Amino acid sequence: MNKTIKLLALLGLVATLTTGCAVNRATGSVDPSTNLAALKTMYVKKIPDDDNTHALIADKLRSKGITVTTGVEPAPGGVDAVVTYIDKWMWDITMYMLELTITFRDPKTDFPMATGNSFHTSLTRLSPKEMVDEVIDNIYKGAK
Amino acid sequence: MPPAMRRQLLTGCALLGIALAGCSSPASREAMVPSDLVVSQQHRHSLRVQTSGGAETSGLDSSNIADTDLKAAIEDAVVRSRLFQSIVQGNDGDYELHVQVVSLRRPLIGGTLNVELETGWSLVRRADRAVLLRKSIHSNGTASMAEAFTFVTRLRLAVETAARDSIRQGLLAIAELNL
Repeated sequence: MNKTIKLLALLGLVATLTTGCAVNRATGSVDPSTNLAALKTMYVKKIPDDDNTHALIADKLRSKGITVTTGVEPAPGGVDAVVTYIDKWMWDITMYMLELTITFRDPKTDFPMATGNSFHTSLTRLSPKEMVDEVIDNIYKGAK
Repeated sequence: MPPAMRRQLLTGCALLGIALAGCSSPASREAMVPSDLVVSQQHRHSLRVQTSGGAETSGLDSSNIADTDLKAAIEDAVVRSRLFQSIVQGNDGDYELHVQVVSLRRPLIGGTLNVELETGWSLVRRADRAVLLRKSIHSNGTASMAEAFTFVTRLRLAVETAARDSIRQGLLAIAELNL
C-alpha cells in the first residue's frame, strides 16, 4: 500500500513538474500579396508599459537597412508598415520572455502583412534580444 | 496528522496532479468548421487554400492551430457552403486564398477561459495577381467549467470556437465580393 502511494505521489509530481519542461516554437510567414522587400520605412508602435522590447525591434530592423521610428501615438503618414508586438513574460527564478509575436501591418488597413512568433519555456529561455532576432529573422525567411 | 489521513491526502494530491496536468491536444479540424454557414452568393470558380503561422501542439504545450488542420477546416467549410465551385490543390485554381494565423492569446490558468485569435485573410486572382481582399479578422472563443472539467480540454474548446468564428467571418467576407 505504501509503495502504491509513493508511486502515485511520484507520478503526480512528475506530471506537474514536466508541464514546465522545454517547449520551443518559432514561426514566420509573409502574406503572398505582400512584397517584404518594398517595406523600407516602418513605425514600431510601442506598448505603453514596455521598457525595451520596442527598441530591440527597432534596432533589429535598422540592421536590415530599414528606416525606423517608434512611439505610442498612431503611426505618422508615409510609413510602409506599422510594427506591432505582443510580449508575454514569466517568472522562474528570474523574469524571462516566454513568447514574442511581431506583426508588420498595412498602415491604412491594419492588415497583417507578415508575422512571426517565438515561444521558449524556462529551460531553453532566450534573452529578449535573441527572441527579437529570432522572430524577425524568421519573418524574412518566410518571404518568397 | 494521523498516518492514514496523511496517506489519503498524499494520494488525493497525486491524483489531482495527474488529472490536472493532462496532455494538450491541437484544435480539431472538424470542430473548426462552421456547421451552419449560409453565404450570400456562390462563386462559380475554383479556389486554392494556403495557411501559415499556425503551430503543432506538443503534449506539454498549449492548444495550437496547425496549418494543415486550419487549411482542411477552411476547405471543408467552402465545400459545405458551396462558396466556390471546387477546391484545388497544388498550383492550380482561379483564386488563391491565404490565411495567416497572426496571434492566438490563451490564458495560462482560469475557470472560464477566453481565447483571442487574429487571422489575416487575402484573396488573389491567379490570372492577373489582383488582390481582391485583405482583411484582419479578430475572433473570440470561450469555454466554461460546465463544458469541460480539465483545463487542457477547456482550452482546446475555446481555441476551436475562436477558429470557427474566424472561418465564418472570413468566408462571409469573401461571399460579399463580386468575383
